[in-house]
Amino acid sequence: MWRQISSAARLTAIALLMGPLVSQASAQYAASRTPDGNPDLNGIWQAMGSAHWDLEDHAARHGPVDALGALGAIPAGLSVVEGGTIPYQPWAAEQRAENLKNWLKLDPAVKCFMPGIPRATYMPLPFQIIQTPAKILFAYEFGSNSRVVRLDRPGTEALAPSWMGYSLGRWEGETLVVDVTAQVPDTWFDSSGNFHSEELRVEERYTPTGPNTLRYEATIEDPKVFTRPWKISMPLYRRLEPNAQILEFKCVPFAEGATYGHLRRPAEPAEPAEAEPEQ
Amino acid sequence: MAHSSIYALRSVGGMLRGCAAPSIALLLAALTGTAVAADPPTTSWGAPDLQGTWDFRSITPFERPKELADKEFLTPEEAEAWEQRTLQASAARRNRDPVQGQGDVDVGYNAFWLDRGEKMTGTMRTSLVVDPPDGRVPARTDLAKRRSAERYARWGGVPSGPEDRNPLERCIVGFNSGPPMNPGAYNNFAEIFQTPTYVAILNEMINDHRIIPLDGRDHVPENMRFWKGDSRGRWEGNTLVVTTKNFTEHTNFRGSGPNMVLTERFTRTSEETLLYEYTIDDPESFERPWSVAVEMKNTSDPLLEYACHEGNRAMTLMLSGARVREEKGQGSDDWLASWYGGAKAVKAAQETLEGTDTDVAEDGK
Repeated sequence: MWRQISSAARLTAIALLMGPLVSQASAQYAASRTPDGNPDLNGIWQAMGSAHWDLEDHAARHGPVDALGALGAIPAGLSVVEGGTIPYQPWAAEQRAENLKNWLKLDPAVKCFMPGIPRATYMPLPFQIIQTPAKILFAYEFGSNSRVVRLDRPGTEALAPSWMGYSLGRWEGETLVVDVTAQVPDTWFDSSGNFHSEELRVEERYTPTGPNTLRYEATIEDPKVFTRPWKISMPLYRRLEPNAQILEFKCVPFAEGATYGHLRRPAEPAEPAEAEPEQ
Repeated sequence: MAHSSIYALRSVGGMLRGCAAPSIALLLAALTGTAVAADPPTTSWGAPDLQGTWDFRSITPFERPKELADKEFLTPEEAEAWEQRTLQASAARRNRDPVQGQGDVDVGYNAFWLDRGEKMTGTMRTSLVVDPPDGRVPARTDLAKRRSAERYARWGGVPSGPEDRNPLERCIVGFNSGPPMNPGAYNNFAEIFQTPTYVAILNEMINDHRIIPLDGRDHVPENMRFWKGDSRGRWEGNTLVVTTKNFTEHTNFRGSGPNMVLTERFTRTSEETLLYEYTIDDPESFERPWSVAVEMKNTSDPLLEYACHEGNRAMTLMLSGARVREEKGQGSDDWLASWYGGAKAVKAAQETLEGTDTDVAEDGK
C-alpha cells in the first residue's frame, strides 16, 4: 500500500504527521541565519578535486616540470560539467586544442593573473566569504584576489570590464544567486585551455547543503564560443581548522620568472667582440 | 573646508549636549583635532558600524612643511589658501608634454593620472604626522638608513630582473594600501565589511583585501612573514584597534623594517567621517614611535578593480629597455633616477653604502 502512494503524497503525509520542521528539513537543508536573517554563508571555503586542472574527465598525466616528479603530476578527475563535455562551437574546439598544446605558456593563472569567475572558486586554495546584508566580499587566497557581490544594485551595469567581473547577487530561498558579467576575455576556466570570450555571462548559485558544505553551481553562457549554455557543479567544503585563516599567497614573485624571465640579464653577459676567438 | 569645520563645531556642540562629561569630550576633540560622534552608527548586532566606502584622498602634507614649523593647526581661511596654492601648483603640471632632452619622461605622470584630492584632511592639521609634536617622522636608526641606501642603490640602477624593482612597481603591494593606508597619488579608496567576528578591508589599490579576525586568536608564528603583515583586531569602546606584525624584510613604510608593530585605530566620527589613526612602533628603524591621523570621508562611488600586475606593461618595457641599454654599453647613471628623488639621492645612497654618513630620505609616492 505504502509503495503505491506517489512520493509527493508520501512527503505530504510525512509533513502532516511530523509537522513543518521535519518537512522543511527533508526537502532542503536550512542554513543558520546572519543577524539580518539571510542564510549564513560566512566562512572559509575550498573546493576539492582537480577541476582547476581540467573541468572535463581526465586521466592522470605528466606535469610540465620534470624536477617535481610525482608531486608535479596532474591528478585524474571526473568531469564537473553537466553531461560531461563542454559544448564548443567547431572553431572554438580547435582553439581549445591549440590552447591545451601551449597551456603552460598561455594559462593566465601561471602568470598569477586573476582567475576570473568561476575559476577563482575552485583554485586549489581557500577563499573567505564575508557576508553583509547589502554586499558580500569574496576574498581569495590565490593572489590575494578580491571581488564584491552587490545585493543592493539590481539592474546596474559594470562601468568597465574587469578580470573578476561585475557581480550582482540576490537570495532565492536558501541560495545565493550571483550574475557575473563584464569579464575580460583573458581568463580561462582551467589549466587545459578551456576558454571564453568577452560575451561570457556566469550565473553562480551557492546553496548550503549542511553546516560545513555548500553546493556550487555555475551556468556558463557565451554565444560566441559555445553552442548552448552549460553548467558545472561541485561541493565546497568549510575549512574546519580552529585557527583557519586566509593566508597570504601573493603569487607575483613566484610568477615573475615565468612572466619576465626572458628579459632577465643573461647570467654571463656576452664578451666584447675583440675577446672572441679569431675565425 | 568651511563646510566641514562648521560640521565639526556642530558635532562638538551636539556631543556637549549629550555627554555626561563635557570636559572629556572637549579634551578628546582637542587631542584629535576633530569631533567625536556621541552616537556612532551601530550594526544589527550592536558593534560600532565602520562599513562603507571611504575616500582618504588628502593634500595635507605627510610631514609638516618647514614654513609651518610652529603651527599645528590651520584656520579654515589658511586651509583654503593652502588648498588653492596646492591646486595651482598641480595645475602647472597638467598637460606637461615631454620635451626632448628633459628628464620628465621617466616619471611620466601628468595631472590626468593623479587623484590626490583637492582638500586638506578634516583634522585641519598642517601634517598627517601628529606625533612627534613637530609633525615629522623621527630620525631613523643606522640600520634603517643602511637598509634604505641599499634599496635606493638597487632601485636607482639598471635592473637585472624584476626583483631589482621595488615591490610597488612589481604590483606585490600597493603604494597607498599599506598597511598602513596612506593618501597617495591615486586609488585612495577603501571599503570596509563587518561581521560579528571579522572586519575586512578591501583597497582599490591593487584589488587587495585584508581580513582581520576579532576573536582574540594569536598572531601567526614569528617565522611566518607576510607582505602585508598579520592583523588582529579588537574593540576599544567605539574604536576598532588593529595590531599588525610579521612583516617581511622587503615591506617598507617610510623606512620601516620587518619587525614593525603597526597599531591602527578606526573611529566613526560622524555619518560621513571615519578617523583613521595609526602608530608605527619599530625601534630597530626609528628613534621613537610615531603616529599619523587621516580623516576618511564616506563616498557612494564604487571601487573599481585595479588590475596592477595583469596590466603591468611597464615592467616588460623597463626590463627590455634595460637589456637594450646594456647591449649598447650605456651605463646606469641616469637610469630612472628621478623616480627616487633624483640622481643625487641615488648617489647619496651609494655613498652611504660606501661608508660615508650621508642620509637618504625615504619618500612615499
